[in-house]
Amino acid sequence: MTEKAMSQVAVKKSVASLLQYSVAARGTFDEMTGPDGQLRPHWADFLAALATLPDGALQKRREKGLRLIRDSGVTYNVYGDKAGKDRPWELDPIPFLIAADEWRILEESLIQRATLLNLILHDLYGAQKLLKDGYLPPSLVFSHPEFWRPLHGASLPRNTSLVLYAADLARSPDGRWWVIGDRTAAPSGAGYALENRIITARIHPDIYKNLWVERLAPFFLKVHETLRRLSPRQGDMPRIVLYTPGPYNETYFEHAYLARYLGITLVDGEDLTNRGDRVYLKTLNGLRQVDVMIRRTDDGYCDPLELRSDSSLGIAGLVQAVHAGTVSVANGLGASVLESPAWLAFLPRLCRVMLHEDLKMPSVATWWCGQKKELNYVMSNLDTLCVRHLLPSLAQPLCGRNLSSAERVNLIERIMASPHNYVAQEIVSLSTAPLWNMNRLESRPVVMRIHLTSYNSSYVAMPGGLTRVAPADGLSTVSMQHGGTSKDTWVLSEKPVEPITLLRPAGAPSKLVRGARDLSSRVADNMFWMGRHLERSELTTRILRAALASHVEGAGQGAGLAQEETLAIVLSMLSGHSVIGDQAADPPCGGERRNPTTLPQESVMRQVIRIHCDPEHFSGLGHSICHLQRIATVVRDRLSLDTWRAIWRLAETVRCTGRGVISQPDGDLDEMLLRLNEVIQMTEALSGLVMENMTRDLSWRFLDAGRRLERAMHVLDLLAGTVEAGTAEDSPVLDVVLGISDSMMTYRARYLVPPALVPLADLLLSDESNPRSLVFQLSALQEHMDAIGVDRMPGTFTPEQKAIIAMLATVRTLDLESPLSVGCAHKVIGNICREMTLKLRTLSEILNLQYFTHAVETLPLFTKP
Amino acid sequence: MITTYNCRHTTVYNYTLPVTVSHHAAHLVPRALPTQIIHGNIIRVTPEPAHRSTRTDYFGNNVFFFTLEETHRSLTVESLCTVTLCEHDFPPADETPPWEKVRDFLASARSPEALVACQYVFDSSFVVTSSAVEAYARPSFPPGRPILTAVVDLMHRIHCEFTYDPKATTLATPLKDVLGHRRGVCQDFAHLQIACCRTMGLAARYVSGYVHTCRTPSPTEADCSTMLIGADASHAWLAVYVPGVGWVDLDPTNDTMPSIEHITIAWGRDYDDVSPLKGVVTGGGQHTPRVEVSVTRRPTP
Repeated sequence: MTEKAMSQVAVKKSVASLLQYSVAARGTFDEMTGPDGQLRPHWADFLAALATLPDGALQKRREKGLRLIRDSGVTYNVYGDKAGKDRPWELDPIPFLIAADEWRILEESLIQRATLLNLILHDLYGAQKLLKDGYLPPSLVFSHPEFWRPLHGASLPRNTSLVLYAADLARSPDGRWWVIGDRTAAPSGAGYALENRIITARIHPDIYKNLWVERLAPFFLKVHETLRRLSPRQGDMPRIVLYTPGPYNETYFEHAYLARYLGITLVDGEDLTNRGDRVYLKTLNGLRQVDVMIRRTDDGYCDPLELRSDSSLGIAGLVQAVHAGTVSVANGLGASVLESPAWLAFLPRLCRVMLHEDLKMPSVATWWCGQKKELNYVMSNLDTLCVRHLLPSLAQPLCGRNLSSAERVNLIERIMASPHNYVAQEIVSLSTAPLWNMNRLESRPVVMRIHLTSYNSSYVAMPGGLTRVAPADGLSTVSMQHGGTSKDTWVLSEKPVEPITLLRPAGAPSKLVRGARDLSSRVADNMFWMGRHLERSELTTRILRAALASHVEGAGQGAGLAQEETLAIVLSMLSGHSVIGDQAADPPCGGERRNPTTLPQESVMRQVIRIHCDPEHFSGLGHSICHLQRIATVVRDRLSLDTWRAIWRLAETVRCTGRGVISQPDGDLDEMLLRLNEVIQMTEALSGLVMENMTRDLSWRFLDAGRRLERAMHVLDLLAGTVEAGTAEDSPVLDVVLGISDSMMTYRARYLVPPALVPLADLLLSDESNPRSLVFQLSALQEHMDAIGVDRMPGTFTPEQKAIIAMLATVRTLDLESPLSVGCAHKVIGNICREMTLKLRTLSEILNLQYFTHAVETLPLFTKP
Repeated sequence: MITTYNCRHTTVYNYTLPVTVSHHAAHLVPRALPTQIIHGNIIRVTPEPAHRSTRTDYFGNNVFFFTLEETHRSLTVESLCTVTLCEHDFPPADETPPWEKVRDFLASARSPEALVACQYVFDSSFVVTSSAVEAYARPSFPPGRPILTAVVDLMHRIHCEFTYDPKATTLATPLKDVLGHRRGVCQDFAHLQIACCRTMGLAARYVSGYVHTCRTPSPTEADCSTMLIGADASHAWLAVYVPGVGWVDLDPTNDTMPSIEHITIAWGRDYDDVSPLKGVVTGGGQHTPRVEVSVTRRPTP
């Protein structure tokens, strides 16, 4: 039997046994099967490969895909979702297949369309010949809120305003592709398409290799090259940034992902500033000029001075910088005007006028109500049409046939009040494609988004795309915002495909770059606090564990007074000190000490744990973890995937522990002890990841400086707590403190006697070789500050260096065994703890002043006439 | 008849907290017009800006941009200009075309002039039309009425039926509240009449400038009994497009058709396009702007 015949047999088998695939809706186009139920040719190889898989393998692959998504943290933010603002991305294991010949038509049509749209933009913000010659009604442009007049006349780099473009496509029942929407401002989805590809290629390594699937990486290389060429400055490497509205944007994951993939800096409005009509990135080493920006922020929000004054995401003066031609913004500000569906009605004519050819791919039939004839048509055919407001954010599409008579009257009134704000469109019937659901293939409506980039004065398309699947049959709106899953899109080549990856570009070796990306002050600030919260989480857990351990052991032996007291003291060392209010905790220094035994110990213990698992509770463990997760989201592009996962798992574990405590108020405390051990191991693993895997660049230094500072403060808290308690020399508290500070081994190696206060204090304060001692943290901080402040004049010291030098001198010259200290070691240690704590706080403030942007709001300023 | 004025427009911001960086855009340089000659213009900014630049905006106004990069607690912007206004005739209102004709002309026009007028037919951020606005405007627009007669009537009505009250509104007060309370300042009245015109399908633009009043009488001025409102601050009025004539200015605050007492600085769709001084500041806390405008007539040589 020939190979071909074998695959035919396999396909028959697959259709019979595996698929049981039937097209749900009559009269639509199915991507995989023809009207006679026969498989379309370009699906044959893929299905043949599926059919050779053992039973259950596809389901396993799907699950592997889900796991990969979770592990790589692909998310899509859903607006207005209080429960969790990130939702995991959804990906179907069956890719969407496009045959080579069909792809050629798609690509050619979309290149034409992108070229046309770019010319229109150029005209609208320039000569406006289309309006003057009567090809466009003035009301179409002048009434549109996204026609940003301040951008008129702005010089466009290389006459390209539309650098990145995406089209949403649907296939009509006769098999033709239609454009149902143009994305011209800041098209999203290319990054998700890339991520979908990486995951799909991993779950189907065999199939992906054997089918000739066009690679995506070459497209991104071209994007990068285009961006580089957009730079208004000649010569050296241009500084390119990806300007995001921030982590609360629905596609923030993609912003971080693309920035990392393209090797450019991810910034938000706060990272940038305009000085002298140039845009600068605020870095630790001062301002660095930005040459090219990919913007993912909506046009109006990019400049509070000239566009929307209520924007807090923008860069004041960006428009003026664009006019001055010092920075290239891709896509050009103002490009969103073309996203209005009203344009769909005008494109065929504009294409003939501007390109002297017919529009190759039709758009969904659209009537703009701003014209009398069209308005009349819409009014008399409302039942077969969907009406949309020009601003998609303002109104959901309304289909005439689904409206009650009251809704209908209301809609007609609204249209008549401002007809130029409405379009009506034919109701789109989408084609269907197979989706793997509950162990079988179902047919579901799909929409495909194809991305293009300008390149060498034309456009190139990404061979692939983001295919989105409607959540249920028959729904004609497809949006990740409304739920739904996605598919990888495979463009099948007729010849073998060369594997290319962006990580190792072919051709001449590029210049080696070390410590490449700029560190913005905002990122430095976030890294510092990430370090602090990371350390705080670990230390808090250590104390909790010590307290719980002491309680569990004590309970076994019958609670003695010493043991109770130990517990009370240990609890008083918890950061915040007041976590359980008046019931058991003590003021940090001095003050009346309450009798800790007024509440049964066990319930105190449970309350403490519950509070620490509650993210709402200020200063608890849950709170720290919450901060850690939030900051990690913000600086995600700086973290390795493993670090990101570790933070995610840590947060999940603490949340689970919290849920356990709440659901089982009388749960086993031993079990809880195990949980806390797990948390400690996780935080340690996380610290290890940071220590071992993060590049030793400035962002790492700030992160570690945060950890050192936190640890130093913690050591002082511990010691102060011990001294305040006034415990006897042989108190079990000293054991516990050694345990918490993980210094038991070191102590035992140094001293053969049971723990005593003075040797303990020496170990925790002045022992240079103890990685938990104060002096060790200060030395590390000094090293970081030396490395960070390299630009200073030789022989001079920055304020933070001076502060650290002074502290080091105090700690290193501390003599606890001097005759002066004898007998009053408690007091000496207590004083030094207080003094050092104050100095560390001052140091933190100095760092804030020196390096971090103050979160000072920028405000719009107006005068009233 | 011609008259020459010296104008001084001072804006002072006192901030409660230091401002580290601020970016500003100012519409303070008067436009040169056939009936308005600009002799000179200076803008003084204290503290000295780190950077200045200028641009002509979409509407043809002069925009002055400046940036302060040193920490400051107060900002003073002083604009001085000398302007000569030439008296011009008004078209006989009864001979202007019926307003419906103008509306239809704008809806289908293609001439460059009409295209420019079309910029000012639609809603903009401060001018949002509504059925209430339309109901208010309607009585001034009976079928077939010449456009200028109609808009002058509308101006009279707004002047008579609304109270000038600087305490009644702020920048953020929407038109429907102005319409409801029948109170406001020049900017509100201008916005209201613009909205009324646009709701009828006509083109109306917002004009920002100064008005000469007799507050600082010069020796040559004989009679100051008719004092115009709008001194002490910049003024605002509107202009309506009349085909064949051009743009005709109307000042509903003073119920007058501006001629040689109104100095035009800039125009746009509404206040937002031409606010005299706007900015984005980092820091600053609370700020209270103080604005002073003086317009004095220069003795005729």
